[in-house]
Amino acid sequence: MNELQFEALLPFMVLAAASMTVILLIAFRMSHTVIQVAAFLMACSVILAMWYVKDTLPQTIPPLFVVDGFGALFTGMIIFSMMAVGLFSYVYFEEREENPKEYYILLFLATLGAAVLTISTHFISLFIGLEVLSVSLYALIAYLRNRNNAVESGMKYLVLAAVSSAFLLFGMALIYMETGSMEFERIAQSIKESSSSVLFNMGFGIMIVAIGFKLALVPFHLWAADVYQGAPAPVTAFIATVSKIGVFAVLLRFALSVNLQQYPLMITIFSVIAMASMIVGNLLALRQQNIKRLMGYSSIAHFGYLLVAFLPGNAAGVEAASFYLLAYSITLLAVFGVVSVLSTRMKDAEELAVYKGLFHRQPILTAVLTISLLSLAGIPLTAGFIAKFFILASGVQQNLWLPVLVLVITSVMGLYYYLRVVSTLFAAPSSATIAAKSLHPFFSVSTYLALIVMMLLLCWLGIFPGRAVEGIREFLLIR
Amino acid sequence: MNLLFYISSFVAVAATIMAISRFHPVHALLYLVVSFLAAAMIFLSLGTPFIAVLEVIVYAGAIIVLFIFVVMMLNLGKDTALQEKNWLRPKVWAGPSLLVLILLVEMIVLLLNAQNAIMHVAVVDPRKVSLSLFGEYIIALELVGFLLMAGIVGAAHIGKQKKKILHRFLKEETMARVEI
Repeated sequence: MNELQFEALLPFMVLAAASMTVILLIAFRMSHTVIQVAAFLMACSVILAMWYVKDTLPQTIPPLFVVDGFGALFTGMIIFSMMAVGLFSYVYFEEREENPKEYYILLFLATLGAAVLTISTHFISLFIGLEVLSVSLYALIAYLRNRNNAVESGMKYLVLAAVSSAFLLFGMALIYMETGSMEFERIAQSIKESSSSVLFNMGFGIMIVAIGFKLALVPFHLWAADVYQGAPAPVTAFIATVSKIGVFAVLLRFALSVNLQQYPLMITIFSVIAMASMIVGNLLALRQQNIKRLMGYSSIAHFGYLLVAFLPGNAAGVEAASFYLLAYSITLLAVFGVVSVLSTRMKDAEELAVYKGLFHRQPILTAVLTISLLSLAGIPLTAGFIAKFFILASGVQQNLWLPVLVLVITSVMGLYYYLRVVSTLFAAPSSATIAAKSLHPFFSVSTYLALIVMMLLLCWLGIFPGRAVEGIREFLLIR
Repeated sequence: MNLLFYISSFVAVAATIMAISRFHPVHALLYLVVSFLAAAMIFLSLGTPFIAVLEVIVYAGAIIVLFIFVVMMLNLGKDTALQEKNWLRPKVWAGPSLLVLILLVEMIVLLLNAQNAIMHVAVVDPRKVSLSLFGEYIIALELVGFLLMAGIVGAAHIGKQKKKILHRFLKEETMARVEI
């Protein structure tokens, strides 16, 4: 490994070192506040490291990794999401758990796993990254171990993730048997030489099970609502953004390097999964009264939309998918930020009844929540609209009429339940509740500030998407 | 070498049967260790010392010892043996055994009709394994370290008991009160 390759891995090494630093801080019995601030600074230093190595990219580190613009873009999204989740976590865990410090170790490790996924070009690094991510997630989901729901959903995730890992390994083994290599590039070469290979199709078909599980796509979506509900609100935000960005990035990279979209069979499978996710996710969300479950079902639908951008397999599709993930992760972080701010000591603010007449008590939070729900629904002037527009454009270019039609119809269905929540927010208040005084003024204020910044970002992306799209395109060209 | 192979295969089969049919879990586990050691011996007699060593270290050494520890901690006594005895009725094991018997007959037929063929075996010695582990795959190895760390930290957090602060005088007092 030469110096440049070493440098290219610097952000990931800083991320790994951050988890060790948190362990050391815990060993020296530092307070939660110190650890939170240190974690924030270390996340900033990861970003600085990325900025520092940006000009030396792309670098391949054979045989496991390639650090290129694609990886840097998705890693950047992951780190920013992790910073937001960490910020929401302070007030949330300080009030609920006598032992909130190990949380940050697990948060950094899970982020490391997701970041490794975005740069991996080899089945080994794919699998290890995925395992680092999911092992940390088991513990994060069950972190509030005194709540019954948390332990139950942690168990559920553990069992299903273990089964899906077994599927992933089996699929990899089949592909290895066919092609004799685990590197994406060499797999691509050897399947190009032998035209139709049953084993490769079988192997990738089995791998889809694991990937579908992680992204909560339809036949494999049963865990989504329960885990979203049982996990602590910041962790739910983490699952919805970081882990899905990582898995989607590696799926996209694999598909691009083996030219997956040239196989009609694969296009058919992914179209069916996409359409099923859009329809089932939106139908299940329609009558949902619990906002965390509602977001779980809506995330199923949203990853269905995202797969429509995955189907063309060209530059426009990748761009659309990246923009969609950017807009979606900001939106979800804003929603779960509001949920975790409103949560009380005993229970997360998940019932829709809690939000009735929120406008009269908390106008700022209401504004944030309204804008983000409108963005999820895809109303013009928000980021969600532009993102959906790009997806539609990339789908129409490739004449994918059926998925595109389903996307349009299910978006209209989705409007119903998002607007139902919005109308609840502005209803007459049920009873006057006295707002509890915040115990941590500095962190509360910074949480509010972060939420407002996210809201403004959503509007800015919705009105002037040009700068962001250019940025994404620039990054994707570094390869 | 052939004789060695047959002896150790016989030991392996016998130990496995004993491991399945013992009622007391610790006895069963001890037989399982013997079965793994016999499998290691088979590998050795086939000329693959590295895999034999791995078999001993990983299976017999690490995994089974963990099993035995857990069983000892659970402190399973005579009740469990009785329960096992109740479970292990002919009604339960007859079906699977019959099906396995079919497979066995199939295998014997195949073996009897087989022609001699030369197997192409590439010997992988420890040196090669460690060179590739600590050479090109060093980053993967380090990531596995982080994977273990995540597992340990998570388990330590979820398994942590709430600390009970009981002063020893207080403890004596409560004990005394109970006696009264």
